[in-house]
Amino acid sequence: MRQISMRLTALLSMAAKAAFPHDYRYGTNRPWTIAAQRLNPPGKKRRKVFVEPIANEDWHVLRGDTVEILSGKDKGKQGKVAQVFRRRSWVILEGLNTHYRYIGRSGDYRGTYIASEAPLMLKDVTLIDPTDRKPTDIEWRYTEEGERVRVSVRTGRIIPKPVYQRRDGIIPQQWKDGPKDTSPEDTLQKTFTPSLKTLEEEVMEKMNIQEDRRPRKSYWY
Amino acid sequence: MAAAVTSRLTAAVCRQFQRVVTVSSYTQPQCATQAFSKFHSCQRRQTYDSWWFRSSTNNRALHTSCVREGLEDFFDLPENWGEQTVKSGAPWTGKQLRVKSNEDLHKLWYVLLKEKNMLLTLEQEAKRQRLPMPSPERLKKVERSMKRLDTVVTEREDSLRLLQTGQERGRPGEWRRNVFGKTFWYRFKEHPIPWYLNSRYKRRRFFEPSHVAPYTRLSLEKYLRSKIRKEKREKRNQKMLAAVFPKKTALA
Repeated sequence: MRQISMRLTALLSMAAKAAFPHDYRYGTNRPWTIAAQRLNPPGKKRRKVFVEPIANEDWHVLRGDTVEILSGKDKGKQGKVAQVFRRRSWVILEGLNTHYRYIGRSGDYRGTYIASEAPLMLKDVTLIDPTDRKPTDIEWRYTEEGERVRVSVRTGRIIPKPVYQRRDGIIPQQWKDGPKDTSPEDTLQKTFTPSLKTLEEEVMEKMNIQEDRRPRKSYWY
Repeated sequence: MAAAVTSRLTAAVCRQFQRVVTVSSYTQPQCATQAFSKFHSCQRRQTYDSWWFRSSTNNRALHTSCVREGLEDFFDLPENWGEQTVKSGAPWTGKQLRVKSNEDLHKLWYVLLKEKNMLLTLEQEAKRQRLPMPSPERLKKVERSMKRLDTVVTEREDSLRLLQTGQERGRPGEWRRNVFGKTFWYRFKEHPIPWYLNSRYKRRRFFEPSHVAPYTRLSLEKYLRSKIRKEKREKRNQKMLAAVFPKKTALA
């Protein structure tokens, strides 16, 4: 049967996680922006969008991949993936499938004229085989080492995971440790030896703490 | 190849966000000795001034507040003062914490705690000055590291307890039925007196009165009906999606 009393931590974590209604329509804007609030005002009822259910591990287009567009305005062009929306099976490429709009208008000033990319459906893009730079179909297969990789069906070439710059601008190869950072060697050094002692007992041993007091008898109910 | 990839990744990405943790014996921390020497100098200063100030009107002993060390741990390193962004590495992962000994984890917890206190002080001061806090993601990283450390320690405790006693839970409890007829997991509390002497506990009813008994069956039926409805809805949804998006076998 269900538990009635919830733990305080569970309650707090629930409150901290953002909760969306079941008929929330996900757009290209982040949920905390004003544009997203305009898209989902409270009390609105829009026709539901049906999205092909793809499991998280079967998703083959990743951010930073080079893909080719199969249909639409920029059919046949290849571009790099900038954003992936799994909830709506959308993919946004850099600089392709663009429409033009004004941004930052105020008063009489009409704003800057910029090109903004429109999202493409997953079925309208395919990954590109690195050998001949042609669009190809993808399958998930296992290598001899047991690693799960994307393999092109036509040539059998493994398509490596794309290297995409992190959002915070850090390049792992060029990282220099700060004064408060632990070096990789110290982090990976193994110091754990399994023993039949709890953390408290081990620490008390190391710090030479003698606990001679006996706990008073208490009742648990 | 997988091992090489993971090790390269860890070596490249694994820059952590606290002081170097080395396995060493517990020695006297440096701050204590510094404070001790400063305290002595203050006492000396006090004896020089005391004859001057110790008159009939000022009988209270002069107190010069000398122990001001230790508060610098509440603030960042002086070179980061006034910066808009402060560089910080990745948080500790559970995998990295699991290879560390209990002593190392104990030390790391307090290092992380001090860092968290420093960041919270910084956050509060930034709110007071109505300025943006420099690099607030550091706080999230520290909190996540501490949460993962806690998870690792509870894992170790759970495994030891299971091995030695066979108990799944650290805190005793049992299934009980409350006044409304609902069965729930009641977690025991620690009391100094037994239950038959605890008048407040005896007033709590862990049984359902006879007039509530018919409603338990009804609520059970309601729960089962809603469960079956949910399963049917799921099946209907899957069927509809399979019809709208047929599985393509021969893809071009």
